[in-house]
Amino acid sequence: ENDLLLTDPLKHPDFFHISELFSLKDLFDARVHFGHKRGCRNRLMEPYLFGCRLDQDIIDLDQSILHLQQALNFTAHCAYRKGIILFVSRMRQFAHLIEQTAKECGEYAHTRYWQGGLLTNSHVQYGTGVRLPDLIIFLSTLNNIFEQHVAVRDAAKMNIPTVGIVDSNCNPSLITYPIPGNDDSPSAINLYCKLFKMTILRAKDKRRQMDLLYGIQKKLTK
Amino acid sequence: MATVWSGLGPAVTQAAGRGGRLIPRDVRTRFSSSDAEKRSGFAVAFERHADLQRQREAEIPDLGGRKVTAQKIDSFASLLRRSPLMQMGPTKDKIVIGKIFHIVGDDLYIDFGGKFHCVCRRPAVDGEKYQREVRVRLKLVDLELTSRFLGAKTDTTLLEAEAALLGLLDVKDTNQRD
Repeated sequence: ENDLLLTDPLKHPDFFHISELFSLKDLFDARVHFGHKRGCRNRLMEPYLFGCRLDQDIIDLDQSILHLQQALNFTAHCAYRKGIILFVSRMRQFAHLIEQTAKECGEYAHTRYWQGGLLTNSHVQYGTGVRLPDLIIFLSTLNNIFEQHVAVRDAAKMNIPTVGIVDSNCNPSLITYPIPGNDDSPSAINLYCKLFKMTILRAKDKRRQMDLLYGIQKKLTK
Repeated sequence: MATVWSGLGPAVTQAAGRGGRLIPRDVRTRFSSSDAEKRSGFAVAFERHADLQRQREAEIPDLGGRKVTAQKIDSFASLLRRSPLMQMGPTKDKIVIGKIFHIVGDDLYIDFGGKFHCVCRRPAVDGEKYQREVRVRLKLVDLELTSRFLGAKTDTTLLEAEAALLGLLDVKDTNQRD
């Protein structure tokens, strides 16, 4: 019975109706398509850019929508299977917002200084038998000195899938589900937090529903 | 009411004849008059409008009985092209309206709709009037302050825009623009 509960959602391409949560207009109004200046561009972000206008990169929202749908679908499935989700960001202006979002979802956030061995040396730092996160969501993959956050590399080392918002100056290669988009405007970060919260809560509600459904079915068959 | 409907008579029956769903059948037969051959101005206009509406409805297919709202789905390229950022052109010396969202002592953090906010010093004139949620006029200098230093691979960015504060937004100005 447990098998059906877990494998049934995998048969649908959009089990949690993620595509209803947002539209192109929402992303556009939240200024998700703004990138940094041309000189700040990371070469690996070039496929995700629509173009460059007067030295400012514009991110292609058609691609961003597809990536965002895939990433949200993945987080929904992770939350459905009771996985631990960790929100990571080193942007000091949004630290409080991200921590609030994580609290409201019932998940975890780490928006402070990342010590070296948190994932790779967890048995020493936290004690034996620590459960590491099953998904790490980066709302900004850079740290305060514009280098890639250590957690991106460490998650890849520990086989933890990552979802990350990559701006035009970020490196998307190590992230499992990159979402090309703006990570500096408050409106964009508000939108992302809202979307992640809605998907996680939706997935958890669905899991509760399915548990009840399969529980009743089992009682009836017995 | 009788006068209004009598002028409509032939128009209504003609619309009914072409399969329009405008007026129910029993109402149509009740108000069709045999003597009004010539149509008044309103009847002609009504008929033309009914034809146009039926043509438009025929183009938009019904989705399972639910009517599609008249909402155009714009592509990203067209949304971008018509956005104020593109229409503005080069940033230098453009006047925009911003809103103060944070204040730290004398520094006003103003958001004008770009990727970054700008930070301006509180002016000497009318200093106390600059509080949160106040709209101000700005003259833009740059949307993002970046510079390539010697020996660096990429530009260093300050994560801020630069603008000169011109003054408070006059309520009269916004009314004129509307």
